[in-house]
Amino acid sequence: MKGEYLKPWLNELITCTLCGYCKNVCPPFDEILWDGTSARGRNILAYGMLTGEIQADESVAQRIFECTMCGDCERRCPSKVKVPQIVRYSRAELVDMGLAFPGQIMLADNVMASGNIFGDQEVMLPKQAGEVRVFIGCQFLARPNKVKKYLKILEMIGIKPKVQEEICCGFPLVSLGFVHKFEEHKERLAKMLAKEPTITFCPTCTVFLKEEYGIPTRHFLQAVAEKLPADKVKKLEVTVTYHDPCDLARGAKVVEEPRRVLSAIGAEVKEMGKSKNTTRCCGGGGGILSSNEQLSAQLARNRVRQAMATGAKTIVTSCATCEQTLKKGAASLAEAGEGDMVVRDVADLVWDALRSAGA
Amino acid sequence: MALKKEVIARLQGIVGEDRCKTSIAERYVYAFDGGIHREVPDVVVQPINTQEVAQIVKLANEFKFPVVPRGAGTALCGHSVPIDKGVVVDLQRMKKIKEICVEDLICVVEPGVVCDHLNAALKKYKFFIPGPASSEAATLGGMVACNASGDKALKYGATRDVVLGLEVVLPTGDIARCGARSVKGASGYQFEKFFVGSEGTLGIVTEITLKLVPLAAYRAGCVAAFGHIREAGQPVSDIIAVPILPSNMELMSATCIKAVNKATGLGLPEVDAILLIEVDGNNLEAVREELAKVTEVCKKNNAVSMDFSEDPKRLEELWKGRKQMIPSLSALRKEYATVMLADDMSVPISKVPEAVVRFQEVSDRYDIEIPAYGHAGDGNLHTKVLMDPTNPDHWRQADKAVQEIYDIVLELGGTVTGEHGIGITKTPYFRQERASLIAAMKAVKRALDPNNIMNPHKIQEWENGFITHLRYPVEVSQ
Repeated sequence: MKGEYLKPWLNELITCTLCGYCKNVCPPFDEILWDGTSARGRNILAYGMLTGEIQADESVAQRIFECTMCGDCERRCPSKVKVPQIVRYSRAELVDMGLAFPGQIMLADNVMASGNIFGDQEVMLPKQAGEVRVFIGCQFLARPNKVKKYLKILEMIGIKPKVQEEICCGFPLVSLGFVHKFEEHKERLAKMLAKEPTITFCPTCTVFLKEEYGIPTRHFLQAVAEKLPADKVKKLEVTVTYHDPCDLARGAKVVEEPRRVLSAIGAEVKEMGKSKNTTRCCGGGGGILSSNEQLSAQLARNRVRQAMATGAKTIVTSCATCEQTLKKGAASLAEAGEGDMVVRDVADLVWDALRSAGA
Repeated sequence: MALKKEVIARLQGIVGEDRCKTSIAERYVYAFDGGIHREVPDVVVQPINTQEVAQIVKLANEFKFPVVPRGAGTALCGHSVPIDKGVVVDLQRMKKIKEICVEDLICVVEPGVVCDHLNAALKKYKFFIPGPASSEAATLGGMVACNASGDKALKYGATRDVVLGLEVVLPTGDIARCGARSVKGASGYQFEKFFVGSEGTLGIVTEITLKLVPLAAYRAGCVAAFGHIREAGQPVSDIIAVPILPSNMELMSATCIKAVNKATGLGLPEVDAILLIEVDGNNLEAVREELAKVTEVCKKNNAVSMDFSEDPKRLEELWKGRKQMIPSLSALRKEYATVMLADDMSVPISKVPEAVVRFQEVSDRYDIEIPAYGHAGDGNLHTKVLMDPTNPDHWRQADKAVQEIYDIVLELGGTVTGEHGIGITKTPYFRQERASLIAAMKAVKRALDPNNIMNPHKIQEWENGFITHLRYPVEVSQ
């Protein structure tokens, strides 16, 4: 039945006073400048779908799927309206109406068929026995060298990582509106998880495994911040700017640990105007790559420009998606002659610092 | 009315297909502003220059369709709701800051510039433009249309006070320039002031010349807590009588204090009422001396506690908390939302205590919560109705309560709006207040807009009550 997913959100939608404060922090609105693509606009569209005042079509789907789900609107909202959740269930309505984008349908099918977003049946999960459960996540599984590095760092700081059977956390399904598929998927994953302390590599998995499955997660950098032996690292003496991934900063509220790690390895952090819990989306969130690739690229360039304004020559981050998106943004700006910006994972710097010190 | 395909094609010819939308998503979103009404337009266009705006308005005269200008859509009384459908002209793409000239004490902007963005640009020159509570979203064009103002109006004025010149596309599509780049002007009818507050009914503002206001070097503030709201009103008049003109002097009643504390964690004292007072200037000792006098007055009026700060960060937090009152109230109780009724009124400064106490009596009589707050220093109060907007009985009760509130305002010598404007929601009370002028206002509207193109049915033109075109899922029979 139409409006069914959104029905529980009527009170939330009426609480929204349409004050418009969210417009000023909404990255897609900044670029597109049509009110429908602001957080407030999406609330209005959700309200229209819920009440049946509008019959959703491609134009509605376009605006709803353009959300990066960065959550800055909810942070800014004095009424604390849960816009990303409203978007999630608006998308569920649209999926049921056959209005999902082809790339998103493919991604959902991939997760269901192979257990990861890439549809890679051959994905090599580096299972190993250990003491602390590690959840690797799709974005990392596609990058085996990165996984090796992360696991090795954990060992170097005295944590014995345990890698067991896992499949996608399921957030891509639920965030893109594939609610029924997610329910099925969740059952599969729940059987693979135990409610034990788990170190996660991906910021989104960090938040979602905790919220949806009740797993006590800690992001990789939280573990590193706690265990990094300050006397056994080489000070790198570099200047960087740190891009807070939205899910890590606003979702998991991990903002100080990455900075502590960077400080411990001798990386001076020049802060961007929008950092920590006011961080700005890199352009990789919310599945916008499949709904509006141009928008994604533009948001990435915007974020790299903000990084350039700090004077640092390197952006470091702690999310594989952010890293990838920012690299594309940096390459595009370099090609346009706007400057060269290197994008790296904080873990790469930690690796350098530990290796150089012979830890 | 549905616009003919030919009209849509002509509009697309003016602004291009990308900036002329007829899709359901775009039309539906532009049905709403920050108030209680909604109506879906036929089309939304986004011009990028004055010529495009003029061509749109000329086309409207040719085909006789309504044109509703819109900034950020943050107005609170249905000003930008296209009540008779037609074309919404979204001016957010006209967002250039064309000039900042501190030597002439002016800046020149397009109407889509967001107030806080302009102030961020002016900060390095140590100037600003006083804006409304919604300054982080509101555009200068919208501020001009509504004569918006906020917490700094007492000392620094409302939008009309800083407008020196305007470029306006008149309802005929002709482009007019009024005012000048000079700080002073006494030329004729001063239409640059006249268009301020006309709510898009007399034309579309396409360029604004504003007088810059210097930023004070030092600020100091206090939160004065009172055991009863009546006691919080008197010091407002007494401070002004000293004479001291604070840069802010805000009143918050108990419910408002709770709402802001819940939304922001500011930790304001949870008493019956507080005054947030700030003084500023370029001499620190003088600022401190003024604050000492403010303190003395508050204590004489039985302030139960005083909390002081010269820390700009703390002061910013306080004002930010105050500015987000409306959405904070909306989140206070799960079953109720903030409904934009009796949202804005202005009374003589000395009547603030009486007004607030009498509003409370109305609230008690109708058993609905009507929290009061506002810019007490200039007599501009705000109330909001906390109610379940899906419940028709709540609307009927609110209707009666709002009427009584405005009766009190008028009896005290006040006006039905201090800074939000009329739109549709306040028209019944505006007509009551300005009964002797309605005919003259209608004549002005007819003279400038013979085809009734520009934002029809607004201000004096709406003949019904406010329970109309409601944006909530409710049917209210009366």
